Amino acid sequence: MSKPNQQKFALVDCNNFYASCERVFDPKLAREPIVVLSNNDGCVIARSNEAKSLGIKMGTPYYQVKDLIIDKSVVVKSSNYPLYGDMSSRVMKVISQYSPVQEVYSIDESFIDLTGFTINLNTHMQALKNQVKSWTGIPVCVGMGSTKARAKLANRIAKIYPKFNGVFDIDSLPNDRFKKLLNSVEVAEIWGIGHKSAQKLEQIGINTAYDFYKADIGIIETLLGVNGKRIYRELYGHSCLAIEEIPPARKQIVSSRSFGLDLSDFDEINQALTSLTRRAVSKLNSQSLATTSMSVFIYTNPFKKNTPCINLSKTIGMSAPINDEGLLIPLCSKLLKQIYEPGYKFYKGGVMLGNLTPDKNQQDLFAVGQNRTELKKHPYGNTLRYASELGNDRWLPRAEFQSNRFTTCWGELLIV
Amino acid sequence: MTTNTQNRGGARLGAGRKKNSGKFKEDTKVMRVPLSLVGTVASTLEVYKSQLKSDMEVLKPDFDAPSLSIPIFSSRVQAGFPSPADDHLEDQLDLNKHLIHHQESTFFVRAQGESMLNAGIHPGDILIVDKSLPAKSGKIVIAVVDGEFTVKRLYKYKGKVSLKAENPEFKDIEINEGSELIIWGVVTSVIHQYV
Repeated sequence: MSKPNQQKFALVDCNNFYASCERVFDPKLAREPIVVLSNNDGCVIARSNEAKSLGIKMGTPYYQVKDLIIDKSVVVKSSNYPLYGDMSSRVMKVISQYSPVQEVYSIDESFIDLTGFTINLNTHMQALKNQVKSWTGIPVCVGMGSTKARAKLANRIAKIYPKFNGVFDIDSLPNDRFKKLLNSVEVAEIWGIGHKSAQKLEQIGINTAYDFYKADIGIIETLLGVNGKRIYRELYGHSCLAIEEIPPARKQIVSSRSFGLDLSDFDEINQALTSLTRRAVSKLNSQSLATTSMSVFIYTNPFKKNTPCINLSKTIGMSAPINDEGLLIPLCSKLLKQIYEPGYKFYKGGVMLGNLTPDKNQQDLFAVGQNRTELKKHPYGNTLRYASELGNDRWLPRAEFQSNRFTTCWGELLIV
Repeated sequence: MTTNTQNRGGARLGAGRKKNSGKFKEDTKVMRVPLSLVGTVASTLEVYKSQLKSDMEVLKPDFDAPSLSIPIFSSRVQAGFPSPADDHLEDQLDLNKHLIHHQESTFFVRAQGESMLNAGIHPGDILIVDKSLPAKSGKIVIAVVDGEFTVKRLYKYKGKVSLKAENPEFKDIEINEGSELIIWGVVTSVIHQYV
């Protein structure tokens, strides 16, 4: 049990989140191996446990595992972000009932602060796990610890060993067992140790989490700086990383896609970029931000041999913040016109809005767009289109195996 | 003539490269650099130069400009007689509040088939389903029998579980030892649209 003054964090992590979302709406898949593909059906980005044990690795290009997938009848799904996003917000809301302090860390992970709770934390977290499962259908595991790094480690244990029933408190582990556990974890798997840091550590013989734990703090600080030092101290139970309740304000918004097939025609590319600009602006507006710089970029596939390779982009700055799609869409077309070169096969493109500022309408006497246009808000917003958005839709990413948007689209509800 | 002498030799007005047309686009200055630092300085300059060359076209950036907010007067000037209804204003009726008690666990599902006609569920109707409610006997539920979805009335009696259709033309489903039953959610309302 935790001492009264000790900090206590829990990391709630959904099990194979994307695959679990698919299973909620298709229970037949309950025990089937599932893989979910990235945008445009490129790479494997999520796997069910069954698919993991078939040896399908994260990030593998789809075509490389196609034979195995057919051979083992693995279920393939295109990523369905409207569904995953909605299910994520439901899961997060249920979790928030269990602590006054919550940090939504990613689409499928959330930290909560349990410091000062006098109730039995194991029971409390079991209740959380069961409620998330019964309310949303998504299975989760909970790891607890006196710091966020320890909670993250604990979550790993909760996932691996069924005997803990999905909830594990790492502070309850005796010291020798804790060290043994660290020995079984690679240094790259410690929370906060990135790929580059792990490489640096491995160069001086720090391979496991235990090597890291018993290393000299001075060496860690020299090698990885203050962030590495913080994680080191976190493993020892000194909380250095607090819960971040408010996500840091966005610095930039990027909206980009690999096209469904390579495009050379200006109008086709312009159609794609207009749609992507609208998407970026709607993100901008939903966060009440305005932009002061816009970049447009298109490139050819660098992996395709025997075709000329080119990477085109252009950025423009603005004198006053803008959040109006009626202004940004023509700007995007203008930039595209300046960079576009015929004769190339472009495979990816996008827009980036940078230098975001809070949207204060009356900031500048010369500011434009006091009556901003956003088609979405129009009564016919879902069907109205900008002229440059119309075309043959060839740019749309491939999503051959996408399930329905069960929770966000009236036309795609679950049918019983 | 004095003009003649001025035209001959010396600096001539407008000659030479245009101001700021060099690679750094501003005035430059000659400076002594220790040999050991030449590489560092040169690479710094390269980076700087590449940034100058970048495709950034800035119209008029002023990213550090202090933010200035001018207050807007939001209260309207009262002209005319105050509304006698002001004191009696109430919230408007919200169907979401009326029909949905747990936002996180409520899903919409579309019905097909006529097995629940007598319970008022027609093909094409939208069912409001709450996954958080306990599956009590007598409730209309979304059930999963051996992986297949179905909407039926749940009956639990003396340890036996069955799913009853609400239409005599359809058979009830008895849940036997071998088959698997999952209650996916409890139907709380039906939306049947006439137009």
